Amino acid sequence: MINTTILAAAAQAVGATKIYGSGDTEVRALDAIEVSFEQGRFTAIMGPSGSGKSTLMHCMAGLDTVTDGQVFIGDTDLSTLSERDLTLLRRDRVGFVFQAFNLVPTLTAIENITLPMDLAGANGDQAWIDEVVAATGLGDRVKHRPNELSGGQQQRVAVARALAGKPQIIFADEPTGNVDSNTGAEILDFMGRAVTEMGQTIVMVTHDAAVAARADRVVFLVDGKIVDELADPTPEGIRDRMTRLGT
Amino acid sequence: MLRLALKSLLANKIRFALTTSTVVIGVGFVVASFVVADSLRSSFDQLSEDIVSGTDFTVRGQLAFGDLTENEPLLLPEELVDRVAAVDGVESAAGTFFIQGVTPVDGTGEAVISNAGPVAGANWTDDQAISQWYLMEGERPQGTGQFAIDISTSESYDFELGRDYQVITPTGPGSFTLTGVMQFGFPENAGLGAVFTIFDTAAAQELFGLEGRVQTIGVRAEPGRDPAEVQAAIASVLPDGTEVVTAETLSDEFSSAFEGFIGVFQTILLVFAFIVLFVSTFIISNTFSIVLGQRIRELSLLRAIGATPAQVRRSVLTESSLIGVAAAALGIGLGMLGALGMRGLFSALGAELPDGPLPLRLRTVIWAAALGIGLTVASSLLPAVKASRTPPIAGLAEGATGAAAPRQRWRPAAGGLLAGAGLLLTLRGLFASFDSTTAQLVSLGVGAGLVFLAVAVLSPLMARTVVSALGVPLGWIFGTSGRLARANAARSPRRTAATAVALTIGLALVTTVAILGQSLKSSFTRSLQTTVTADFIVSHAQIGDDLPAALAEDLRAAGAGRVVAFNSVQAQVGGQARTITGADVDGIAAVANLDVVEGSLEDFDPASGLLLHQDPAGDLGVGPGDELDLAFPNGETRRLRVAAVYSQTTAFWGNWLVGRGLIAEMNPTAGVGVVAVDAGTAGADTGRAALEQALERYPQANLEDRSEFQASAESNLNTLLVLVNVFLGFSLLIALVGIVNTLTLSVFERTREIGLLRAVGMTRRQARRMIRWEAAVVTLYGALIGIALGLGFGVAIAAAIPADFIDVITVPSGQLLIYLALSLGFGLLAALFPAFRAGRMNVLEAISTEG
Repeated sequence: MINTTILAAAAQAVGATKIYGSGDTEVRALDAIEVSFEQGRFTAIMGPSGSGKSTLMHCMAGLDTVTDGQVFIGDTDLSTLSERDLTLLRRDRVGFVFQAFNLVPTLTAIENITLPMDLAGANGDQAWIDEVVAATGLGDRVKHRPNELSGGQQQRVAVARALAGKPQIIFADEPTGNVDSNTGAEILDFMGRAVTEMGQTIVMVTHDAAVAARADRVVFLVDGKIVDELADPTPEGIRDRMTRLGT
Repeated sequence: MLRLALKSLLANKIRFALTTSTVVIGVGFVVASFVVADSLRSSFDQLSEDIVSGTDFTVRGQLAFGDLTENEPLLLPEELVDRVAAVDGVESAAGTFFIQGVTPVDGTGEAVISNAGPVAGANWTDDQAISQWYLMEGERPQGTGQFAIDISTSESYDFELGRDYQVITPTGPGSFTLTGVMQFGFPENAGLGAVFTIFDTAAAQELFGLEGRVQTIGVRAEPGRDPAEVQAAIASVLPDGTEVVTAETLSDEFSSAFEGFIGVFQTILLVFAFIVLFVSTFIISNTFSIVLGQRIRELSLLRAIGATPAQVRRSVLTESSLIGVAAAALGIGLGMLGALGMRGLFSALGAELPDGPLPLRLRTVIWAAALGIGLTVASSLLPAVKASRTPPIAGLAEGATGAAAPRQRWRPAAGGLLAGAGLLLTLRGLFASFDSTTAQLVSLGVGAGLVFLAVAVLSPLMARTVVSALGVPLGWIFGTSGRLARANAARSPRRTAATAVALTIGLALVTTVAILGQSLKSSFTRSLQTTVTADFIVSHAQIGDDLPAALAEDLRAAGAGRVVAFNSVQAQVGGQARTITGADVDGIAAVANLDVVEGSLEDFDPASGLLLHQDPAGDLGVGPGDELDLAFPNGETRRLRVAAVYSQTTAFWGNWLVGRGLIAEMNPTAGVGVVAVDAGTAGADTGRAALEQALERYPQANLEDRSEFQASAESNLNTLLVLVNVFLGFSLLIALVGIVNTLTLSVFERTREIGLLRAVGMTRRQARRMIRWEAAVVTLYGALIGIALGLGFGVAIAAAIPADFIDVITVPSGQLLIYLALSLGFGLLAALFPAFRAGRMNVLEAISTEG
């Protein structure tokens, strides 16, 4: 039963626990979390600040390690990997979109998009990259540096970078947190198309119900525990759930 | 504001330490220079007092010109001693000698030579206070078969009483029985590494070739007599050309004579120290700019809550004053250590400085404080003004730290102006004629300084282009991390330029020295090859010391070939000081090619002839057959007739050549500086064997053929070059600190960016490589400009140096390539710590840092 779940999941947490400090100052950021993110789905993680949603994402993405339990990307157990192997895993099998400062200012947009592949010394799938670049709608502006692009364009480049290497899973941390709502909608459209049309897997952390409603599924986190989840959410449904969770 | 400044310092300990370190090194160097010079000063002041401490007056011949360091005292007739002793009020009077070059040979057959003090012969006197030679062990030496030795030499070289030793005196080597060990002064006076052999007065006169004469007369007055009266009474019995001076006068004369070279020594050290400070000014200013740029949020917050621009400025200046105070204090401490190190360095390179306390004078502390605080505050002035102009909203704007710098239109004009003025002053310093060397050096130094400032001002304009070009291969070799390294090096041209300029200055100076050194060597080699035809050259093992005159006669007697000895004396022609070389001119054609352009060596009369180089001949408008008056230090003037005008000089002779007999007449204690030997038809091997046999009695002498002589002259020059490069190395050290500084701060500034790169899969190794090669490109940029500048300076200075020293300008391209490669290594070394930090950066913390 468990095995079949692992095979179907792009990423999975099994009893994942993250503890900061010890004794009186001990904080349980993640408390025996069991969650699995299926391939080809767009999942949102929601929760109030301090709920552990960012920690969960960092641990799932190999940016941080769990204190106890296991985290899998595909069938790779991250707790068995060295620092170097984690780095290579992030480079080759995971995509990232952060809230801000996603791009290296000295590289052009297209160089930023191919950065993980360039770091690996790999060529990548040129047809796929062309498709991804076309999907950003930047046109010729991909040859510009980030400081010459708008905030929305920058975030689309970041999503394109995450997609370019055909990773097993993409993690996005408040990808629309720093832009206005129209621009945010553009970015979410792009991410949605990546899942529906390109078959990618995206996990996104957000605190905005309207943003979370764009996902196929919403997971609710409170005090380091998964307390609820919702399939095919609507903004109202999410707000209703949040209110009931007392946040 | 003081509390704010203090808090800000404490909160940023690494920045504080980095900023301070460059000032500390510079101030430390200044302090060490002063302390070493002061230590020399106090040693030699003590020596000056000790030399005369037993006497009240000294009677001596009056020098016509020159001072005690350039000329040996004139000789007096022996009967003058009795005449002075008979003067009313004189308790005792005795003739004394101090003859340089009297060399003892120790039990192992090695000549005792000293690189710290003179090796000299002296005599003891019945009134021990006058000669100051006190018997510590054994008996006083009597007659020409016995000698005593000074106590420190006796201990260092294991001399044993009762044994026979060789002593080489001006009249030749002899065997003497060691009867006593003597001490100079009681309690012991400052000897400063001198080596003394002591004889009785009559033996000294005979052995030194000075029968019937004494060098000086030491006088002790009867207790309770009025010194002025006694001095006047002595003066009344003295012949013309002789004077009586008090012990204080003589001691002061010695002091000021010593001060002459200590002052020069101090100035040279300070020049190096100021170069270091000049370089560190760039580093401090750059560090302040970066740090304040990074604190723009904090500063704008201050402005937002109501701090006035003046308050912000004051806060920054208070901070830099505090750094200055700390740096000055640490610099003094480092300087004291540095003084010890400097002594060690000199002694390692064969120039022993006297031991003794290291005095920290008030003057040194004031300089340290003024330079430490003054330079730090001055360097922070511009950054402070810029910081005070921070608008209150600056911190709210996104990417405030990485904002593109505005174009500075003043740069090309200001840089051009500085470069023009600098070049003008430099060229003026090189080629214009000056009344004093100081004025010339100031013009040169200020000119070079302005050129460096011009480079600092102009460099940001070309940094991006050049650095990008230099970095191109990085992308090919290292892929993305190489391309990022290149982009990072080029992203802030002003910062790159300011970081590189320190290295530029250091390398420009090192390159200049390399070109001058190489040109000196090749000029020397060329002149040796074209001008000197001698098979062998005999000189003293201790550079600058003379060999006894008797050695030349012994070599001649050994039948080794044609022997020509050279020595020199100071003289004046038309009131101008000239170095006159004495030579055995009759044989000179066998050992050297003077390249006579006018007249003939045949017409040279050893007693009254003069050979003149074409430069002074041209200046004075004289030629063969003309006569010139030469005034010698003993007051005599000789009219000499120019026999020939020549065009070649070497290390053996300069522009004026006379017969060696004339020199001996003017200065009977003169030895010979160098002896050239032409083996003639006997052949080099036979000649060498004969010379070696004759020289067995002179273990202080070095026998070298031409290539050996050339090699040892080059190795002496190399020692000097090493010393200069070690001192210049401090500016390179500062440059290294500067690169570490900038890079550490840049890495800190780019925490978010490096975190991002790591998050998307850059390995630690790739991160380290990116930082390392960024540093390498920046150093390469600085090094290339530095070497280019150094080439310019070096060739210009070499061209300005008279042809006697440099007539061939040689660029040591291999050495310059090595410098370039070293600079690259230097950059990689400087990046070790910043790269380590970048590699160890916690990705999670980095990406959550407020960007």
